[in-house]
Amino acid sequence: MLGVHEFSIAEALAAQVQRHAPAAGRVREVEISVGALRGLEPEALRMSWEAVTHGTAIAGSILNVDLRPWSIACSTCGRTWTSPVPFVACACGDPAPVPTAGDELNLVSLTIDEEEA
Amino acid sequence: MPEGGRTTRIPLVERVLEANDQVAAVNRAELERRGIFSVDLIGAPGSGKTALLESTLRALKGHRRPAVLVGDLATRRDGDRLARWCDQVVQISTGQGCHLEANQVRDALGQIDLDAVDLLFIENVGNLICPVGFDLGQAAKVGLFSLTEGDDKAAKHPYLVEAADLLLLNKIDLLPHLSFDRSSFEADVRLLNPRVPILDVSATTGQGLDAWITWLDR
Ligand SMILES: Nc1nc2c(ncn2[C@@H]2O[C@H](COP(=O)(O)OP(=O)(O)OP(=O)(O)O)[C@@H](O)[C@H]2O)c(=O)[nH]1
Ligand SMILES: [Mg+2]
Ligand SMILES: [Zn+2]
Ligand SMILES: [Zn+2]
Repeated sequence: MLGVHEFSIAEALAAQVQRHAPAAGRVREVEISVGALRGLEPEALRMSWEAVTHGTAIAGSILNVDLRPWSIACSTCGRTWTSPVPFVACACGDPAPVPTAGDELNLVSLTIDEEEA
Repeated sequence: MPEGGRTTRIPLVERVLEANDQVAAVNRAELERRGIFSVDLIGAPGSGKTALLESTLRALKGHRRPAVLVGDLATRRDGDRLARWCDQVVQISTGQGCHLEANQVRDALGQIDLDAVDLLFIENVGNLICPVGFDLGQAAKVGLFSLTEGDDKAAKHPYLVEAADLLLLNKIDLLPHLSFDRSSFEADVRLLNPRVPILDVSATTGQGLDAWITWLDR
């Protein structure tokens, strides 16, 4: 299923990548960094990416999603760790350690196959 | 890699929604300059966003000078409901779009006599996910949850809970009839956002609306 929530993000990203892409060369890979707070699904982002770039100059480029996980801090035992989900119990028995995550949504890099002049 | 070519990695650090955020900043500057307090109301479909605004507009009559922008996928129904209580209502049809974007608000503001307004409500499209990530230029984000959605919805939508300046828990009149665990809802909110106020309200009975109106007036 194409995640409609990811679709508008992919559209904004495609416009941004087209602005940055050098005239000579082909965009091979697009790297983004996404905070877990955004709740975006990497797989849905990649499928949306394929759909919005289809038939454009950046078609076939790979979207590489660096999903930054939740960080969980237990106030009972002092342990901190990362988790893909916010609500997790601690091994020490504390049922509700504190989850924090970022909401960043950044274009981090483009990888370009340059054409020989 | 193509024959004879080379591969280069270009590092960038740029927000993906930069273009939206720039328009939002223009909206924010204009609203602030005019002294208009603005609220982006975000909640699930059917949580009672329009009902809450109807009773809020009724309560504000003669006291504040409100305007409303209302985002809806396909119909004009919410706009028509609100127009009975407020003469400055702009319906924004989003079509496929599951959230409002700053440029839609920018255009809609052009259709309002802003000199005659001191309070702006924006009813976002019914959805707890995307609206949170798209800045519109509002002064405050208000998250609306309702009892009929179940007490796990704060935990399932951490971005809204974290980003909200105020949470409203609507349909509180139904508390005796549902198995909604009010303290479990609040515990989930507190883990994600220790400071956000939570106001229990009922758009239909008017319960708790005083506290909400006071919050708007502060
Ligand atoms: N019992 C009760 N019902 C309510 C309350 N608030 C809203 N409702 C009912 O909930 C239903 C949905 O209300 P709306 O105001 O249309 O909800 P909405 O969030 O604007 O919905 P969309 O714009 O479609 O996303 C209506 O039948 C309302 O009468 C409340 O406080 N108590
Ligand atoms: Mg509505
Ligand atoms: Zn969406
Ligand atoms: Zn622990």
